[in-house]
Amino acid sequence: MITMHEVAREDTQLVEEALGGNQLSFQLLIERYQERIFALARHYTKSAVEVEDIVQDTFLKAYRRLETFQRQSSFSTWLYRIAVNTALDFLKRMGRSPVQAVEDPELSASPVRAQAGSGIAIAAPDARLRREEVARITAEVLDELPEIFRTVLVLREFEDMPYQQMAEVLGISIGTVESRLFRARARFKEAMIRLHPEFAAAD
Amino acid sequence: MKINCEAARPLVPSYLDGELTEVQASPLRTHLLDCPACREVAKEGKSLGRWFEFQSEPVAVPAGFAARVARRAFAGDPGLLVPEPPAIRPRRPLLPFLLVVSAIAAAILFVLAVAIQRESLPHTNGLDARSRPRWLDDHSVEHASAETPVQRVETRR
Repeated sequence: MITMHEVAREDTQLVEEALGGNQLSFQLLIERYQERIFALARHYTKSAVEVEDIVQDTFLKAYRRLETFQRQSSFSTWLYRIAVNTALDFLKRMGRSPVQAVEDPELSASPVRAQAGSGIAIAAPDARLRREEVARITAEVLDELPEIFRTVLVLREFEDMPYQQMAEVLGISIGTVESRLFRARARFKEAMIRLHPEFAAAD
Repeated sequence: MKINCEAARPLVPSYLDGELTEVQASPLRTHLLDCPACREVAKEGKSLGRWFEFQSEPVAVPAGFAARVARRAFAGDPGLLVPEPPAIRPRRPLLPFLLVVSAIAAAILFVLAVAIQRESLPHTNGLDARSRPRWLDDHSVEHASAETPVQRVETRR
């Protein structure tokens, strides 16, 4: 069984080899992470072509910046950071500008208001719903959220990232991860009830 | 250690995300056992999490994607989406530049000083009073009745 440490060591080794001019080592790095980066990019656009463009650009950018990779963080954290920034740059370029934190009133709301927002409750998905149906509804609701909230939910819920890694990927503090995640969940619940009132939790 | 609802509520999301240490989680668990309201908050959090248990069908990675991208990377392809920011030109060290400018300025000052000094020296070795500046002659013309200092000296002799 390969431990996390061994994976990280292997990544570092592949990075060294790629920096030394070994194309195959870089190809192995891409193969190792391509599915995860495709899965991440899919949350920013519906178009398969655009998803591929984002992923390709992520790896091309990663190669150009390979020398700047700090061994203190893991390669996957470093790569995710590039991928998220590439996806947000892509949205900007396509005129689908990501909502900035300062523009979002929810982020500047007082803790009392934020707490009130969390008062909304949604039920768990109905057991009769098919998995694909649950996934489709979740994706539909996520699309309603500003990118900063969508990103934290995707990293936490789908990528199963710990707060520390999320903080490194997003370049924010753990405290900001917590508060952003809290508000993202509140916004998710609001959007779910607006789009699918049938899933509001019964009192 | 016992905690109240006010202390327990903010910890619930981190608890559900598995982010609390055992020292933090233990009193929260005890509180949840005793408090139906906080237990309901935790239950709602779990319900929300269930919506993320399934993802849409993964986007299929195109065949040969990794090989193609690695080839493009090594060929120096910058990518299509986001242009690289303009390269920052390395800053030239300031000291050598200042030394060169100072040396040029010193040379110019030296040449000027020599030229000014040469201009102020007499052009011959003789002590010829007639070689006085022209403006003195002009002055004596304007006051024709007055004697020039030279004439006065010659008269006395």
